Amino acid sequence: MLDTFEILTTSGVVLWSRTYASVSPTVVNNFITDVFIEEKSSVAGAKNGASAAENPPYKHDQHTLRWTFEKELGIIFVAVYRSLLHISWIDKLVDNIRALFVGLYRDELTKPNTTIVECLTFDQYFDQQLRELEQAGGKSDARAFKNEVLSEDTGDEPPSPPNLTRSQQAQRGASPGSSPNVSRPGTPSTNHLLVAKAGPVAKMSRRARKMQNTNSAPASSSDEGPARKAKAKPVKRGRKWDADGLADEDDGVQLDYSVPTLTSDSEVEAGARPGAVEEVDASTWGSQAKGKFVLKDLGDEVHSILADADAKKSAATKTDAPSGLVGSGLSAIGGLFRNVVGGKVLTKQDLEKAMKGMEEHLLKKNVAREAAVRLCEGVEKELVGVKTGSFESINARIQKAMEVSLTKMLTPTSSLDLLREIDAITSPSATSLRKARPYVMSIVGVNGVGKSTNLSKICFFLLQNKYKVLIAAGDTFRSGAVEQLAVHVRNLKELTAREGGQVELYQKGYGKDAATVAKDAVAYAAQEGFDVVLIDTAGRRHNDQRLMSSLEKFAKFAQPDKILMVGEALVGTDSVAQARNFNAAFGSGRSLDGFIISKCDTVGDMVGTLVSIVHATNVPVLFVGVGQHYSDLRNFSVKWAVEKLLSSA
Amino acid sequence: MSTLQTIKDLLEASLTPSPTVIILGLAFCLVAPILLHFLYSTATPYTTLPSVLLLGPPGAGKTALTTLLERGSSSDTLDGPVAKTHTSQVPSSIELSVNSDDPSTSYKTNLDNESATAKKFLLVDTPGHPKLRASSLMRLNAAEPTIKSSLVSDGGAKSKIKAVVFMVDAAALADGDALPSTAEYLYDVLLTLQKRFHSRGGSRAPASMPVLVAANKLDLFTALPAALVKSNLEAELGRIRAARSKGLLDSGIGQDDVDAGEEGDWLGGDGSEKFSFAQMMEFDVDVDVIGGSVIGDGPGAEKWWKWIGERV
Repeated sequence: MLDTFEILTTSGVVLWSRTYASVSPTVVNNFITDVFIEEKSSVAGAKNGASAAENPPYKHDQHTLRWTFEKELGIIFVAVYRSLLHISWIDKLVDNIRALFVGLYRDELTKPNTTIVECLTFDQYFDQQLRELEQAGGKSDARAFKNEVLSEDTGDEPPSPPNLTRSQQAQRGASPGSSPNVSRPGTPSTNHLLVAKAGPVAKMSRRARKMQNTNSAPASSSDEGPARKAKAKPVKRGRKWDADGLADEDDGVQLDYSVPTLTSDSEVEAGARPGAVEEVDASTWGSQAKGKFVLKDLGDEVHSILADADAKKSAATKTDAPSGLVGSGLSAIGGLFRNVVGGKVLTKQDLEKAMKGMEEHLLKKNVAREAAVRLCEGVEKELVGVKTGSFESINARIQKAMEVSLTKMLTPTSSLDLLREIDAITSPSATSLRKARPYVMSIVGVNGVGKSTNLSKICFFLLQNKYKVLIAAGDTFRSGAVEQLAVHVRNLKELTAREGGQVELYQKGYGKDAATVAKDAVAYAAQEGFDVVLIDTAGRRHNDQRLMSSLEKFAKFAQPDKILMVGEALVGTDSVAQARNFNAAFGSGRSLDGFIISKCDTVGDMVGTLVSIVHATNVPVLFVGVGQHYSDLRNFSVKWAVEKLLSSA
Repeated sequence: MSTLQTIKDLLEASLTPSPTVIILGLAFCLVAPILLHFLYSTATPYTTLPSVLLLGPPGAGKTALTTLLERGSSSDTLDGPVAKTHTSQVPSSIELSVNSDDPSTSYKTNLDNESATAKKFLLVDTPGHPKLRASSLMRLNAAEPTIKSSLVSDGGAKSKIKAVVFMVDAAALADGDALPSTAEYLYDVLLTLQKRFHSRGGSRAPASMPVLVAANKLDLFTALPAALVKSNLEAELGRIRAARSKGLLDSGIGQDDVDAGEEGDWLGGDGSEKFSFAQMMEFDVDVDVIGGSVIGDGPGAEKWWKWIGERV
């Protein structure tokens, strides 16, 4: 069944949650990081208002997450359940809860400068919804659980009293702030829970369990004949009441407070059945007549809120057309005025034209159409419904939003300090149990993009930092490739001899298997005490399956710590396909670690290739080649790229 | 027809130079701007509250601290005052108030009930994910009123940042992987503050910026004590500084302005061998390291609160 349901804000605070089986918080954290922050291409970005069915489910470590997002208020609704289970009504639940929650607490959610939303009463709405959907959708499996529940309940040991008071306190809503982990006694949903696992719920008070016991009856009456059970159950319930409920009258009153819906449930049932039931608890039932109305009201309220939300949605899609000539004229004038002064609430129509312009601008900067469209869609989604600042035009707002999303896209997730990584591998700290070994780096790419040149540039940079470098000639195919590297090595030797760097070439001539050469080179380097091994590879066309397939073997044999792909800044739309194919070429367990964008000095402002490849692979750009000299290698600066991309010269 | 007639009449009347029309017109011209002024000045708060920026790597406990401080006064909640939290995507700010007579009062005391004068400020919680750090740093940069950043939209430029709280996870720092990433972020923060000091224009120097390194999660057994957190971070910052000085230049810096690029990237005092937080005093950046814990039976958050109270 459902493991947990959470309602959280984009700022990270959980407003309301219900946990049935404890789920590690990393599941939801990873979900947020992957879907909302990094926008991995496998999972589509967050669409505002899309129902849970439209959002692709997110799977992580045995759990499946269904989710929906309310952009305007910045709230995410997530349901987590085991991937093994198939729950047909889960989409409906997420959507309905969203409509309910937004309908009930909209005012509180829009308050500025606070994270507190008092929504303790939401428990009962959730229960009502869950019960309804479960009954509608899960009749068949509900039946299977029920008998087990009954048998297990009687076998359980007595509970600890604090549990009871804790949960009751929560019911009264005496305190503000959300209260996670409240397993509310008496929810029908917990029935299945008891069977599924032994978490906090198993330790629930006896009273609570008793409640479940009684409560499973109405569900059963709906789908199976009550005759068989009606006999066994009233007896069981009666015994329990005798043991506890009747002995302590105060408890009965408290029960009334805490579980109104539930008692009423039982009452409905009690009314339907003659005899023993009424006889046993006549006094308690009588005083709880109020409970019935609460249930009815709650159900009606829930339905009216849901209907409202539906109506609003359909109305929103319908009444987009302008209303009358005068109205449109006035709003047009007002819109123009607001466009200059600011404070205008942006709509899709307002943005359309400006977004087209922005897309053109990006295309002119050599961004692949695919990436440009994605960026523009993201910005548009972000801006619809946003109010512009005072004296801010739409274009300025779009520019700003684009700057933010470009920065977000190009910024790497982890640190890219190459020297530090090399140090960590070649001279591991005493506490870690790794053995020192050479750091292996390999460079791949399409023909003629500058693999060997960039390799020697990196080599120069490493030599300046006094590393001992071995260059392995992995291009055993193109004639002259080994000699070319030999020339580079000779030059580098001369350049850095004074500074103390050491470099050597490892080559086996032509015609050998590149993967084997690489493997031998690594072994040789380990033996001779080199710090870094740089492996050159033959250039290959990214859509040639035969050539690309050898890369997988290469990655397996050489075990590089870093695989860098060299991409030309000159290339246009093809960069997306290049990056994707190379990224996928190393087998399932390995992907690219970074890009080197060469020939950036030849394109001026049109550095769109950067965006295209990062968009395609989510792999960061490490270095940028800006010239012909060994020293013309630069760290990639996000700010620089964003400035170039947005400059309108 | 009749409506057209009345409109015509009205137009004629308004265009005839009669004293009523002139007086009405004059009155409108004089009163309208004043009315507009009042309308807008009441709509936007006239004074901006001072704010405290909460930075740090993801998972350090920033949002948890935020909720703790906000809910602290009503500690009768079920699971303690700290709400469950997840990775943040957007910054959020909450309004808090300190007792301005005695900043050492606990955050738990409800200031509404007491006669003491309360000073309000905003605590700004920022997302810690590396992809989202740029905007936080931009906000820090924009703390100077003269620089208006184009990236800060929601009043960040207006709000005056009084202090920075940098949260670290003391338990995670114990093992190797978290330390470099944490230190890198701290390095960027301190470098931003240092550059901000350098970039002061004219006579107005930016106010000094105190930084609190809050070593969180001291309730855990594996957590490092504050002193050790400090020395580890200092050592790591020194290593990063050395690595950056050796590393490649950033793209966009041409050969000509190499000097300009190098000037700005060296954190702390020139030529010093080891980095220490004390070196940042030179740039009016006062760094303190205080341990505490948001949840559990640890030392609690009282010391941090006191620090914030004194700075606000």
